[in-house]
Amino acid sequence: MNQVQQPSLSREIPRHRTNWKTYLRRYWTLYLLLAIPIAFFVIFRYFPMAYILMAFKKNNIIQPPWLVDWAKNSGFEWFIKAFKDKLFLRALENTIKLNLLDLVCGFPAPILMALILNELAFKRFKKFTQTVLYLPHFLSWIIISSLALRLLADNDGLVNILNKQMTGNPDAVIPFLSNPSWWVGSYIGLGIWKEAGWGTIIYLAALTSISPELYEAAAVDGAGRFRRIWHVTLPGLRPTIVVLLIMRLGYILGSEFDRPLALSNKLVTDVSTVLSIYVYQKGINGGGQFSLTTAVGLFQSVVGVLFLFGANFLAKRFGERGIM
Amino acid sequence: MKRILALVLALALFATLGITSAFAADDGFVDGKFTETRTITVRLFQRGDNVPETSPWAEYIKNGMKEKYNVNVEFSVCGRWDDETDLGNLLAAQNAPDVIYTYAYPTVLNYADMGGIIDLAPYIEEYKDLLPNLFNLLGEENVYWDKDPESGKLWALETRLVNNARINTFIRKDWLDKLGMALPTNKAEFEACLVAFRDNAELLLGADAAKMVPYSTSQDIGWRNNILTVSFVPDAISDEELYIRGFDDRQQFLPGAKEAMRLLNKWYNEGLVWKDFALYGDGDTTEDDNLKAGFVGAFQHNYDYPYRNGEDSIEANIKRAAGEDAEFVAVDCFENDAGVYRKYLGSTVDRKVCFPTTNKEVLASLLYLDFISQPDTILFLQTGVEGKNHERAENGAYMMKAVDASDPYTQASLNNIDFTMTCNGQYLGEYTEASFAFGYAPVDPEVVQNAYVVAMNGGRVPKHFSLPAIEAETGVGTTLSDERNSFLNKAVTAPVDQFDAVYDAGVENYMAIGGEAIMNERAEKLEAATGYKFEK
Repeated sequence: MNQVQQPSLSREIPRHRTNWKTYLRRYWTLYLLLAIPIAFFVIFRYFPMAYILMAFKKNNIIQPPWLVDWAKNSGFEWFIKAFKDKLFLRALENTIKLNLLDLVCGFPAPILMALILNELAFKRFKKFTQTVLYLPHFLSWIIISSLALRLLADNDGLVNILNKQMTGNPDAVIPFLSNPSWWVGSYIGLGIWKEAGWGTIIYLAALTSISPELYEAAAVDGAGRFRRIWHVTLPGLRPTIVVLLIMRLGYILGSEFDRPLALSNKLVTDVSTVLSIYVYQKGINGGGQFSLTTAVGLFQSVVGVLFLFGANFLAKRFGERGIM
Repeated sequence: MKRILALVLALALFATLGITSAFAADDGFVDGKFTETRTITVRLFQRGDNVPETSPWAEYIKNGMKEKYNVNVEFSVCGRWDDETDLGNLLAAQNAPDVIYTYAYPTVLNYADMGGIIDLAPYIEEYKDLLPNLFNLLGEENVYWDKDPESGKLWALETRLVNNARINTFIRKDWLDKLGMALPTNKAEFEACLVAFRDNAELLLGADAAKMVPYSTSQDIGWRNNILTVSFVPDAISDEELYIRGFDDRQQFLPGAKEAMRLLNKWYNEGLVWKDFALYGDGDTTEDDNLKAGFVGAFQHNYDYPYRNGEDSIEANIKRAAGEDAEFVAVDCFENDAGVYRKYLGSTVDRKVCFPTTNKEVLASLLYLDFISQPDTILFLQTGVEGKNHERAENGAYMMKAVDASDPYTQASLNNIDFTMTCNGQYLGEYTEASFAFGYAPVDPEVVQNAYVVAMNGGRVPKHFSLPAIEAETGVGTTLSDERNSFLNKAVTAPVDQFDAVYDAGVENYMAIGGEAIMNERAEKLEAATGYKFEK
């Protein structure tokens, strides 16, 4: 085998494996910078994990969990209690249902929107539309819920007032917020309205990396607009879509807090109470059941991690790069 | 060697003594004053934008404590509506103020179980003589209210509710006058008033006729229709049954409550009740805005609700919106089976004051409670400065004046209850009664006086039974009350023919998720203590 002549460097590369101290001495400024995020993760992400122990201990937040006695049933008291609690099971069911609907309806929305934006020829109009689409992302759910009430309330809401006047029927009320099925629709719809525009950013970025030559070649081969989208744009977006989908699946049992809390009302609690609300009610909002709620949180995380790995595994099986 | 062993044993003995008897008398307290300055922190609620810890009220307390006992007082401020969350955080961080309070006794019990709260029983015994004002204000009953009859532990002191009026029915008298109707005196007449409001919306509201709300309520159905509910409860219900079924402070699980909700459901379906009430959550101001704009004919709420908040009160607002004769008056028209206008009043207890185990200044903290229970302290905190917060009437009554919210002398809460921790309600000694009605300037004192009289008419105070802690009540949090509100909202807004199904399913669910366990435990412990047999 021929030895390739190394270009001569100003500094000799030592033969033996470089001691970490050497690196540290040479690049200490970079390591110092790195230390900041590492410290952040250790202090705020890893250290608190020790308190997961609470899920297996008697309910006590006054003493550190390692000093507290183990809970009943070899520490699994709270998990058993949760799964016997009707309210927990209802919250679990709602969480899964709402998240799946969000996934089915909410996940494709930014992709579609990015495709549409990408097809706009008039650049200034495209920029303007993009900005308008981003805006709702910056509103909090509290503001949006308030807007939703003014617009969608059964009798005092603008939409229903217009509806009544146009149909001339005082009973023509669309129960956007008061009927559980309609409420789910409003919940998902508002979610899309708020986040879809923002979600397009990453897809639009991915689109810029698709070579224009591919489009030209497709055009030469006689592909129309939709054919080009189908055979060039979407395949170009596929790695991005897969990565985002995997991350999204890791969140299948996660639940937003402010969105269901703000949008919910007493008529739809059967479909709107999700795990985060359950944890809030049982834990910090007067319930004081900190071990139980830690157990619920741990359960959510474990399921989330399983989904993440599962989705990643499947993605790799289908020839994608995955995220790990 | 023997010597060392003896020393070790002695030290061990000393250490165990220290652990087993956490209580030790404070020897730095000589002749009614600390020899060295002590410092305590005290919980204080903030409402709105004011800065309570630097207000003249806070300064008065700080100066008074420093002068009288040589104690520095620092206030630990938290938002009124975050109190439960905030308290949990502070206790977990071992950083809670020395004097804390909450409205929920189960919360106290929960933290006591964790070892986070001091057992006050030995301290109260030791220092009783130093706390005359506290005992005077609270009375033995309130002080020992929460004492566990079995273990003798006392985790919290029940502070005093001076005025236990609770809820009233209010109706727009000027509307009735316009329609030529008299004030209603029974349910049928009240309903007739609501129907008349609905049918005469154009006359009463003109261009705003579409906004007419004959009867308003909120999603907190139980509270906001409490008088209606109670009027369906048999008058003969026993104290024991009232206790067992009375965990829910909205009285929604007493016999008869379902019929009350049925009537409300009927009203709702006839267009007499605000259509969208269920959509708005706690703290939403939409209903208040309706009330202030003068669109509402009648409602039930806290006995003085339309008169609160001076110039921004509902009463002052409707006068601006609908003319000088616009007014809400309190009426009695919900009679029960004995023909009595029954109301369940609050008992004499209010907030629960307790000390976390991190409190190293128990005596100083108790003296703080004694100081703010002193009649002259309460007088200043409630009435403020003459000429600024009040004027004196000829009979000596305190006539409160509206103070601008930007003025440091403004009171962020009615009667300054955020500062008068041990006392809720006007407590002005001989002038209390005469002053009460003047506490709501600019509202006409006679209107206020009438509301108080009506609220107390037919009042019954549920009896307190001294029982061991009811374990089923801890850890429930807001789940039960949220579920209660949820099913009541659904039942009231259901079509008439579905009312029974929705209501019954709601009760069944409420009982299954914890309501029944509480009732059973209450019944058991009551039977053990008194021999009373509860029949479901």
